[in-house]
Amino acid sequence: MDKGLIQQKLDNTFLRRALKNFAAAYPVARAKAFEGMDFEELRVRISGFKEAGLEQLPALVEQFTASAEKAGARVHLCTTPDDANRTILEIIRSKNADFLVKSKAMTSEEIELNHYLERNGVSCLETDLGEWIIQLAGERPSHMVMPAIHKNKEEVAELFSRETGRECPPDIPSLVQTARDSLRSGFLTGQVGMSGANVAMADSGTLGIITNEGNGRLVTTLPRTHIALVGVEKIVPSLTEALDIIEILPKNATGQKITSYVSFIKGPTGDEGRELHIVLLDNGRLRLAADPAFREALKCVKCGACANVCPIYELVGGHVFGHIYVGGIGLVLTPFFHGFDKAEEILKLCIGCRKCNEVCAAKIDIEGLIVDLRDRIRKPFGQKFLFGTLMKNRKLFHAALRTAYLAQKPFQGEGGRIRHLPLVLNRETANRSLPPIAERPFRDLVETGTGTGKSKGEKVLFYSGCLADFVYPEMCRDTVTSLEKLGYTVTFPQEQTCCGIPARYSGEMEVARDMARINTDVLLKEEADYVVTICPTCTMSLKHDFGKLLADDPVYAEKARRLAAKTFNFSELAARKAETGDWRLGTGKVPQTVTYHDACHLKRGCGVHEEPRKVLQELAGVEIAEMTDCDKCCGFGGSYSIKYPEISQEVLKNKLENIAATGAKTVAVDCPGCKLQIEGGLEAAGSPVKVEHSATLVARRIG
Amino acid sequence: MVERFQIAAEAVGAIVKRFTTLIDGAGYVTSVTGTTTVAAPTLPPALRRALPDLTLAEPADFAVAGAGISVARAGIAATGSLLLELTDPTDRSATALPPVHLVLLDITTIVPTLADLAGLLAENLNRPSPAYLSLTTGPSRTADIERVLTIGVHGPKELHILMMEGDASWTRD
Ligand code: SF4
Ligand code: SF4
Repeated sequence: MDKGLIQQKLDNTFLRRALKNFAAAYPVARAKAFEGMDFEELRVRISGFKEAGLEQLPALVEQFTASAEKAGARVHLCTTPDDANRTILEIIRSKNADFLVKSKAMTSEEIELNHYLERNGVSCLETDLGEWIIQLAGERPSHMVMPAIHKNKEEVAELFSRETGRECPPDIPSLVQTARDSLRSGFLTGQVGMSGANVAMADSGTLGIITNEGNGRLVTTLPRTHIALVGVEKIVPSLTEALDIIEILPKNATGQKITSYVSFIKGPTGDEGRELHIVLLDNGRLRLAADPAFREALKCVKCGACANVCPIYELVGGHVFGHIYVGGIGLVLTPFFHGFDKAEEILKLCIGCRKCNEVCAAKIDIEGLIVDLRDRIRKPFGQKFLFGTLMKNRKLFHAALRTAYLAQKPFQGEGGRIRHLPLVLNRETANRSLPPIAERPFRDLVETGTGTGKSKGEKVLFYSGCLADFVYPEMCRDTVTSLEKLGYTVTFPQEQTCCGIPARYSGEMEVARDMARINTDVLLKEEADYVVTICPTCTMSLKHDFGKLLADDPVYAEKARRLAAKTFNFSELAARKAETGDWRLGTGKVPQTVTYHDACHLKRGCGVHEEPRKVLQELAGVEIAEMTDCDKCCGFGGSYSIKYPEISQEVLKNKLENIAATGAKTVAVDCPGCKLQIEGGLEAAGSPVKVEHSATLVARRIG
Repeated sequence: MVERFQIAAEAVGAIVKRFTTLIDGAGYVTSVTGTTTVAAPTLPPALRRALPDLTLAEPADFAVAGAGISVARAGIAATGSLLLELTDPTDRSATALPPVHLVLLDITTIVPTLADLAGLLAENLNRPSPAYLSLTTGPSRTADIERVLTIGVHGPKELHILMMEGDASWTRD
């Protein structure tokens, strides 16, 4: 990704403020719009019929075509953008027209219709206010629902002044009036009108169009020929399904209960000679629909919510975070619609926080698809050794981490933290100090008899994860101590190794698969009631990814299932003991008040957010001062913070502000990655606030 | 349900009035339209009779008409939406071009939610003939510049909903 462009967007104060304000306002409006409704039930239903529809998409296309034609429309199924462009040009020429008046259609952006038509002597007028602004500026939309969210009123006033030839003041109501006045003649003189569609109904051949400004109704009413450009994935069986989409879309898009206009258009209406042409766009969709690994992406109803909540989108906007389609789903659709070369760089921009999954109207595993897609793209040079040779060999990998302890020595500052890293890393980690790799990892401490084997309760295998093992051995020790004090018997299997997530995130599925096999064997070898982790990313890996990675191998698939069933996060196991009273209070000191940061992979990866609070309040005996956006990413994202440090730092900055606002002197977390990121940020800023894993607080409090 | 409809419609910027007689409703129409020409291609005969002084615009002049008048087929309480049957493009223009749009709604046609309208919608869409149905909720709006909500873009700037209580069977004539 172009680092210059990223920096430019990060430095654009208007863009930053606009997106930040929106990010703050959106969840409130959205919650209000869904009041009294069961969002989950609705989206599960949508996901279900969309999935079923995709499995038989060719049949739906056929049925829709037949119904629409019976109602008098002409349907053109176009395989490529070129086909679609040519078909549309021919329709326009057949009407002896040279002017197309348009309402919003993302599909038209997808096939770059305007360029094509203008090159062929047809002028195009975008009438959606945002689209018109973008057209005048010669740019592309930076959001699927709010295309011009990156433009401020001054820029709009300048564009309008240039277009109308008279001075337009930067006053929003008057700018809107200017658009109304200027575009009126376009509606009245347009010979051909074009729209998109939000949904198409196979049984009746009806199109559903959802709009706010009223331009959609004008372009489908005044010109005598109407062309609708519609992606084939928009077809659903009937009105019943269409109504679900109409119900969810505006609420998820902008927090509106419903838009000003929802139009149902069946066939050409009015006198003889009026025509409705429906151009069904394939452009790779039918092939994608037949691909069980990625077809899920086509369930998308284009509500844009995945961009609305994405912390990276919030920082850099849609011109960086996406191509034509933006936000999380933009990353996923780009390779299929526009080619893998366009997608390679943008796919790396996702930090993996899964916020998008939480709000997706079609319940798409957007983040999972992004990760899987990285596997399909080219591998960067050098990665082969790291993942191919080093990580698969546990001894070699762990030896390398030990060597890193020695190599880092010259760079350590006061208190042992790394303040200076060699060469390239120096600039990029300027706002965050890094903890050193420990002299003795936890695995060595256990070997010499620290901690384990003191209790007689349910048996727990402790899977620490590399970061805690090598950087935070004391966090591991505290975990063992807490669990033992709570009555569990804890063992640390020495042969455990990396969970494979770094390999998976870098698109090295084969390596990830090997790690999955190794760990599955290690963790099932010993009889145990539970496997416990203190890194939610590892938990996700053990619980969900291993099963997916090993699905084709019946023996290991079964093992993965067994492992998944008994794997839990520390806070889940600890919370079970809160009420039993099988423990007693100690004399250790804990802070009175802490604030809690929900790790992305704990909350959205494992669905755990109540247990940690219970553990803190009841076992660690602290009060929680909740921070704003407690479940918003801290910006760590594993190697992300090294690949895109400038973005990671900005995400972190928001988190630090929210922490400071609570006044708490301690941040409790349940993830070593979050600890590393937040602690580093606090330390670099000279803040005295401490970051502690819940296990540490519990270990201190109970005796 | 009538209250819920009114609250929801007002929340999205519609002006909602309640009338018990056709004459009162007609009086309100006149007070809004004043002396401007009006786009109203398919007025129910009873309403037309109650508005003897109305100056109707020709379809070709709808773009300069001061107001449009329509009759809703149904209303949705949850969102304050109106269902308009606008298969004739002239009827559509009357609702889309003038800056003011007046809609008469028989309150007995109000249903709780969008889903409750499924039957009526399906009945219209499953006929073999072409159809154009429109759900209208509040005046036209945009938030495309700096996300500031602005009422009145390409469609009407004002939406007046006349909720007709009592016998409103004339709306279906
Ligand atoms: S996982 Fe997070 S960073 Fe990635 S696309 Fe989704 S919201 Fe954005
Ligand atoms: S992926 Fe989901 S959240 Fe994103 S636009 Fe599509 S439906 Fe909406």
